[in-house]
Amino acid sequence: MTGIVSYGFYIPKYRIKIGDIAKVWGKEEKNISRSLLVKEKTVAGIDEDSLTMAYESSKMAFEGLNIDKKKIGAVYVGSESHPYAVNPTATILAEMLGIRGHYLASDTEFACKAATGAMISGLGMIKSKLTSYVLVSASDKAQSMPHDVLEYTASSASVSLLMGSQDLVLKVLDYSTYSTDTPDFWRRDGIRYPSHGGRFTGLPAYFYHIFNSSSDLLKKTKIKPHQIAHAVFHMPNGKFPIQIAYKLGFDFDQVKQSLVVENLGNSYTASALLGLVSVLEVAQKNDLIFFASFGSGAGSDAFIFQVTDNIDKRRMSLSKKIKNKKYIDYPTYLKFMDTI
Amino acid sequence: MISPVKIWRRQRHIKDQLGKTGKILTWTKIYIAAKEFKKNAPYYVVMVELDSGRRLYGQLVDLMDEKISIGMKVESILRKVRQPSQDGVIAYGIKFKLLKDE
Amino acid sequence: MVSIIGYYTTQFGELWEKSLFSLVGEAIDNVLIESGLEKKQIDAVFFGNMLSGILENNLHASAKIAEILKLNIPIFRVEAACASGGSAFNLAVNYVKSQAAETVLVVGAEKMTDFSPEQVVGGLSAASSGEEQESGLTFPGIYALMAQSYLNKNKTKEEDLACISVKNHFHGSLNDKAHFRRQISVSDVLNSAYVAYPLKVLDSSPISDGASSVIITSNKKIIKKAKKPVMVLASEVVNDTISLKKRKNLDSIEATIIAADKVFKKTGLKRKDITVAELHDCFSIAEIIAMEDIGFWKKGEGASGARAYSTMFGRSDNLVVNTSGGLKSAGHPVGATGIKQLGEIYLQLTGRAEKRQVKGAKYGLAHNVGGSGGTVVITILGN
Repeated sequence: MTGIVSYGFYIPKYRIKIGDIAKVWGKEEKNISRSLLVKEKTVAGIDEDSLTMAYESSKMAFEGLNIDKKKIGAVYVGSESHPYAVNPTATILAEMLGIRGHYLASDTEFACKAATGAMISGLGMIKSKLTSYVLVSASDKAQSMPHDVLEYTASSASVSLLMGSQDLVLKVLDYSTYSTDTPDFWRRDGIRYPSHGGRFTGLPAYFYHIFNSSSDLLKKTKIKPHQIAHAVFHMPNGKFPIQIAYKLGFDFDQVKQSLVVENLGNSYTASALLGLVSVLEVAQKNDLIFFASFGSGAGSDAFIFQVTDNIDKRRMSLSKKIKNKKYIDYPTYLKFMDTI
Repeated sequence: MISPVKIWRRQRHIKDQLGKTGKILTWTKIYIAAKEFKKNAPYYVVMVELDSGRRLYGQLVDLMDEKISIGMKVESILRKVRQPSQDGVIAYGIKFKLLKDE
Repeated sequence: MVSIIGYYTTQFGELWEKSLFSLVGEAIDNVLIESGLEKKQIDAVFFGNMLSGILENNLHASAKIAEILKLNIPIFRVEAACASGGSAFNLAVNYVKSQAAETVLVVGAEKMTDFSPEQVVGGLSAASSGEEQESGLTFPGIYALMAQSYLNKNKTKEEDLACISVKNHFHGSLNDKAHFRRQISVSDVLNSAYVAYPLKVLDSSPISDGASSVIITSNKKIIKKAKKPVMVLASEVVNDTISLKKRKNLDSIEATIIAADKVFKKTGLKRKDITVAELHDCFSIAEIIAMEDIGFWKKGEGASGARAYSTMFGRSDNLVVNTSGGLKSAGHPVGATGIKQLGEIYLQLTGRAEKRQVKGAKYGLAHNVGGSGGTVVITILGN
């Protein structure tokens, strides 16, 4: 049995309110927050980036764990905002964690599902006994063009998972993945901000791919939605995950614990994983958790996890950590994001 | 652009000083900074004595609005230590945050 | 015995029309006149300068000066951050004592205003360790760390530091060659912007251009002929760690304590025998710390001494400090400062300090510091 041994997360302390962005562009706060169901988002500090955040979340994943780091056969970092276009984040992260030498360092990219794709690769390495442990880190300090609608949601965070086959906190019962060529959201090399197809990012992209990966997974595991304790979906805003949940046969109570986007924004590769972290704060032993990410371009990775009795000793509190926050204004936000 | 070799030599030792606790021996707040630090100004710089006895310098970041004083406890964290140039290697290093009982 | 037989300093300030070596040329030409010597009587030159390599990509100053002098004599450039001038002087004295030469010209110079403050601040930070630079500590930042430690330990306030700047500006107003000749008040200092807390703009010495030079000799005939020679009774250089964090005490400069003990031991003089001194006030806190380290004030007495203006010209009944205006008011062209300090003592001891003449000055002390205390040069002059 393969799965997740431990997990960690990092949320930067800075927040900006949707209203403080809206008023710069002459928009009404209530209109935006009503349509996106987002109130505020996280912002990484001026001296933070995907690497520093990945380090923090990985550090938490290793807390209290007594494993031989030499048994970690691969380190994956999935991000849309790697510090370099050419030079792996994974080697820097690994070095800082004390992992060096005979391990595979690999950076992945697939919009918001860069890390969950790496989870599948990690599963393969562990299941085939090529290695005992794989570290997967999702981290983003997401950029968005000023005055674009994405500015209200693109945020910063990191989640790291240590995958293995022993002493698991989450078993991976099965997974399914779905990919097609769908250019709903993209960024050309050398261009600073991403572009997107507006409403094209909805039905033909987000909904189509999550629906396909998820219904395939439910079909092949023969698990019914009502057997699932918590459902987690990628959160580009507060509405889409609820809508796809209903489409797949889940109800609001099953998905509500995961909806962190309202106060934390969409941290891209870390988005769905943060929803999972939120669920794990309250999950009970034997709970089945349904999880599906989405990456523009496009694709979706779906997993069904089962919570083990290790949950009580590995549980991390997201709600406690996010209480520590400091609001910044728009010019400071632009400074932190290196726009000015 | 700083030499990538210099960054490499320095960076190899950073991991040994991460996640360490210590106390502030003395501190200042820099208002007029050199070019690579201008964007972060004003910022606090502390001289810390780690529990191990070793002394380190670093910026003190992630503050709410606390008043800083000699003797406060801090923890070392990983951050970008200077604004990287457009095309140079990014220098990561030690900064500090206040140690709080959570 | 080595004696100073002449001194000349250029104006200190923003000297747009002058380049580094035109300043050096001016200093050399005029100190020869002051000393009544011809250039062929010079056996060697020692040149103190810190930044010409970093800021102007100009090194090999020895050859440059040989070109200016049109002489084929040994010329040595000396660098020890802000103690470059004092160190050049110390080496020159020992060069003469070792009988490698009889008559040596020492010149210190710096050209700083051709560059943006950012470039200069960057260059000056070369006086600190790599780690200090990497942490974002500027040079004022390092002295601010010392100031913070001192203020915390001795219950001293920023107002007490301000008194030093006020005193030195008063002295500067009496010195035509000073960069700043305007008096300031304590509230001027307190209202000036912070550079690195708790040090403010008016706690800090400025960026200045200038060159100063002296001629020293062991030649008995020349000394006899000289209008007013002054003997170099002792000169000591002491080094310590470049990094502030590696020192035992953060509110004191160990190298100053050691160098002071050495010069007083060598000369047999007591602290109270010194009635005029030039101390290295790169920042107001530095003068207070120096007074305590040298032993003019007891440890911890700094604040009360500063507040009482007990070392101010016209108020003091024993020691007057920094009649030139110090670094704060006279200006701090880095390489020139050490020589200017010695020159000021020389003027005091030869009765030529004009409006700021301390009566009956017999023994004087110059204190020049490099970086945050990595190099200290202390010299006692007298007759």
